[in-house]
Amino acid sequence: MAEFAHSSAEDSALVRASQRGDTDAFEELVARHRDKIYARAFSMMRNEEEAIDLSQEAWVKGWQRLVQFQGDSSFATWITRIVINLCLDELRKQKRRRTESIEEMDEESGGVERQMPVVTTNPTERLERGELRQRIDQALAQMSNEHRTVLVLHEFEEMEYKEIAKAMDCSIGTVMSRLFYARRKLASLLADLKQ
Amino acid sequence: MAAVIFLPAAPVRAQSSAGAYGSQTVTSNFEAQLIWGTNEKQSDPKLKPADPKLVEKLQKSPFKWNYYFEMHKENIKLKLNEEKTVTMSRNCVISVTCLKDEQVKFELIGKGKLANTVTQDLPKGRLLITGGDAENSTAWFVVLKRVE
Amino acid sequence: MTEEQQLKVQAFLDGELPESEGQEVAAWLASDSDASALLGELKNTRAALKEFDSPATAGVKLPESREFYWSKIKREIERTTPVAAPAPKASLFHWFRRVLMPLGTLAALALVAVVAIHSFSGGQHPMPMAANVMLGDPGALTYRDDAQDMTVVWLSYPAENKFAETSSGDTLSPK
Repeated sequence: MAEFAHSSAEDSALVRASQRGDTDAFEELVARHRDKIYARAFSMMRNEEEAIDLSQEAWVKGWQRLVQFQGDSSFATWITRIVINLCLDELRKQKRRRTESIEEMDEESGGVERQMPVVTTNPTERLERGELRQRIDQALAQMSNEHRTVLVLHEFEEMEYKEIAKAMDCSIGTVMSRLFYARRKLASLLADLKQ
Repeated sequence: MAAVIFLPAAPVRAQSSAGAYGSQTVTSNFEAQLIWGTNEKQSDPKLKPADPKLVEKLQKSPFKWNYYFEMHKENIKLKLNEEKTVTMSRNCVISVTCLKDEQVKFELIGKGKLANTVTQDLPKGRLLITGGDAENSTAWFVVLKRVE
Repeated sequence: MTEEQQLKVQAFLDGELPESEGQEVAAWLASDSDASALLGELKNTRAALKEFDSPATAGVKLPESREFYWSKIKREIERTTPVAAPAPKASLFHWFRRVLMPLGTLAALALVAVVAIHSFSGGQHPMPMAANVMLGDPGALTYRDDAQDMTVVWLSYPAENKFAETSSGDTLSPK
């Protein structure tokens, strides 16, 4: 019976119940938003196992910090920010362990993206949805973590340059360069589809 | 299930200030441990039992708990009159100053506020322990010793 | 176009330029075909990404069942949620605090007392030779045990105020 009532309750009611310790209510929140949270983690990590682990960790942290959620944003936005921060932490750890990629060296040397010819055709007009989605997915998978992250944070999470700079612990200039490179790279990859 | 109490320390934020007495080439090594005492048996495999010798000492003192776990450990190298600040957990920062004649000044800073200062001799083999109550009838200890 | 100009086109698209600069760039874009083409490409890329991430086309599903996924979260929540612990065994220390702490709160003077300490553990542990108990700071009790070669400074602040952190935080796993 509790599950039925929860399934028809709004997020705000479920949050209030969860804040009082109702794990069934929290489970309903998890069920509602789990795909989105997982998808965000996957978009950043590009690894299924890592995305599952980090999304679960986000839910646990969300439960622990529920008392801090005041409703300034939607619950979905709030829990999304938790998973994003966890992904950023993990990416930073991974960066410390790996060597610099060629893409990053290109970016730092500065110039590859400036020399790419401008793509004049609109991929959303040329491709059907399913194919476009698949191609973008492939393109994102090919990018470095830094480029993909800045793209995700700006284009999907609609964060401003300075917010991204703070989240990624880099300068606004770096954010702009990475975003520019990522966008141009994506455009170039999408343009190469129909050869 | 017992409370999980301590945060593991984040990367050590060690701040050092050498004294103003010229070069101090001799380095003293100290070890600081953050210990949690509880009467409840713990099943978490990640918990590291404290050193049996330390446990034996604590259990011979009034500060008896059934189990003790080492939550964090730091090695601190100090020259004479040098002070270092080390984070043991999110709410526990310690400052250690190496003084002459095997003396040491130990400061405990909790949640940004100085909680206690002790200055005493600390030859090798002696323990300086600061402790207090933790939630659910458990206890925390910071154990400082000179290791050489 | 210089790199700076290209980044300005991007910043213009993203609404990150101050108003006056935005107007300058808009005027420049109207007259520069290369810059305008670049803006077009950036707009198209943005539109494609919006399409990719929109709920209507969302295709990413969590590859675990609802129950299994939740079971792991629930287990971790239960593991990190505090439960009441039984009262500790009666110990000499609690006798100390009951008897001596009121003295500490009353007196700002250092009080040194040598007391014989008897273990409540049924004689399993030999008695320490001597213990010096010093009350200076009203909130601290110093216990010095030469037999065990240790000094313990016990701070009597309420648990919830100090160094012990409740379980609303984090796990013990080292980071």
